[in-house]
Amino acid sequence: MTGLRQWLLRRLLLGTGQLVAVVLLVFALTEALPGDAAVALAGDQPDPERIAALRTAMHLDRPAYERLADWAAGLLHGDFGTSLVSGRPVSSYLADGFGPTVLLAALTVVLLVPVAGGLGVLAARHEGRFTDRLISSVTLAVYAVPEFALGILLVTVFALRLGWLPPTAVGYGADLPAHPAVLVLPVLVLLSRPVCSLARLVRAGMIDALAAPYAAQARRYGIPGARIRYAHALPNALAPAAQQLARTVDWLLCGVIVVEALFVIPGLGTVLMNAVAERDVPVIQGLAIVFGLTAVVLNLGADVVAHRFAPRALVAA
Amino acid sequence: MTTPATGAPPTGAPPLVTARARPGRFAVALLIIGVPLVLALLGPLFAGEAGPRAASFTLGGGHWAGTDFVGRDVWRQVLLGGRPVVVTALAATALAYAVALPLGLISALTHRTWLEELLMRPLDVVLAVPSLLLILLVAAVLAPGPMGLALLVALVNIPDAARIIRATAAEAASRPAVEALRMQGETWWRMAVGYVGRSALRTLATDAGVRLTGVLYLVATAAFLGVGVEPDAADWAVMVDRNRTGLFVQPWAVVVPALLIVGLTVGVNLLVDAALATRERRVRPGRKPGEKPGEMGESSP
Repeated sequence: MTGLRQWLLRRLLLGTGQLVAVVLLVFALTEALPGDAAVALAGDQPDPERIAALRTAMHLDRPAYERLADWAAGLLHGDFGTSLVSGRPVSSYLADGFGPTVLLAALTVVLLVPVAGGLGVLAARHEGRFTDRLISSVTLAVYAVPEFALGILLVTVFALRLGWLPPTAVGYGADLPAHPAVLVLPVLVLLSRPVCSLARLVRAGMIDALAAPYAAQARRYGIPGARIRYAHALPNALAPAAQQLARTVDWLLCGVIVVEALFVIPGLGTVLMNAVAERDVPVIQGLAIVFGLTAVVLNLGADVVAHRFAPRALVAA
Repeated sequence: MTTPATGAPPTGAPPLVTARARPGRFAVALLIIGVPLVLALLGPLFAGEAGPRAASFTLGGGHWAGTDFVGRDVWRQVLLGGRPVVVTALAATALAYAVALPLGLISALTHRTWLEELLMRPLDVVLAVPSLLLILLVAAVLAPGPMGLALLVALVNIPDAARIIRATAAEAASRPAVEALRMQGETWWRMAVGYVGRSALRTLATDAGVRLTGVLYLVATAAFLGVGVEPDAADWAVMVDRNRTGLFVQPWAVVVPALLIVGLTVGVNLLVDAALATRERRVRPGRKPGEKPGEMGESSP
């Protein structure tokens, strides 16, 4: 028990370190701007008035540590600053994009575990036969494909050729839940990589578990196959997959950005890409903080889940 | 943090690998990767001079794959567009190892705990930031070119590669042979590179293959999002992005580069997988006693 508590403490400490590092890293962004940040940001329209306005807006006349302290203190109160382009508070940008992104991510996560688990168990049950070979080859192949290439091909087939689904979310606004057909392709694309990697891990774990002595013993006792598979083998097979969950979080956050750009969904990823295009540093910083913190927190959660499933495995902290 | 970027656990054993080598798997992998790879490497030689620009998104008129969003010949863009993807990915992988290898080896072989912590702990922290987000963050400020993109992709791969190298090298460094070398008074270089580095080579080759898949993914995705490329660059990922607006009029300008990217990434992954499975079979009879059986995490006949 002390071992677990110690591990948890160390892991929480690492998580806190990561949070601080994300904040510092994101702040260092403005400092990394070549030369005078205001001049660099003014970019194409370097008229002195705009540079002066930027300088005041970013408080560049004050020392860096003071700005960092102010900004970090603001973050603690949920104050992300104001956009350089529109003058609107960054938090309003976040509020605008929050709904669609959370909807996409939640749908994906809800579908991810049963689909990946089901495919993995199915392949393991038919080990070496056609079903297994099919699932193994397809998951191996699709695992490597970038979301945008897969997505655009799916759009070509299902929206352009067959006309079954809308190609993008243009014209549906932020009211996505009312139009489930719009979400089919985005969620499918988001699912592609994590499902493949998890399904392969579940398959491998399941085959190992079913070949283990305890499964053979259970069979000798006459316990039905389904019960051995789902009650005894599956929890053990999930252990390596649970460790992979942490990496899946990273993929989902990246995938959301790509999928939103591809399907023109007005979520946080689109807000981020627009801000990057306009070099709207406060908005980029705010979004980076949100994405970074989500990643750190979800990673922490995934590690705890993995530790719960496989306490013997070495989870670094 | 538990798992590295491309799906292999820190021990370096690839879980995403089917252990059984089937004849013909190389053939399938080579078939899939063949067309995009040949186009990427040799395409620029056959591209020829740019013709006059035609109207945007047209079909026919001497352009057998049509024209793109600014009226250029799509086939010529396809011939030119593979090289940046492949070269950037290879450069990024090489760069990542150039930094991760010394980092991992030094922290595995040092006996000073503070040095190891100093080298490895910061990497744990960077590992927490989603890789694409890190790339976008830097790109927003610095507007990098293709070289910058390679550096960025290498940067996000360093923590993970260094961890795997450290774990593998630490195992090799704890063997009695290293103790013997040390007692013989061999130089640090001889031990680190001559013995530990060489013992770790197998795991590193595995990791490099798996990492190349991940790097290709990142390079293509970043280019699609407009990082490190000109807005009208001849690059398959950029072509997919820029010609999307004409998807309904002229799908070839999008579908051809998208298919080539799919072929490239799938082919690399299948090739790595087939190579690993074949080598696994070759290595298996002479397995070292320290290795676990069923290292690939899957049963095999």
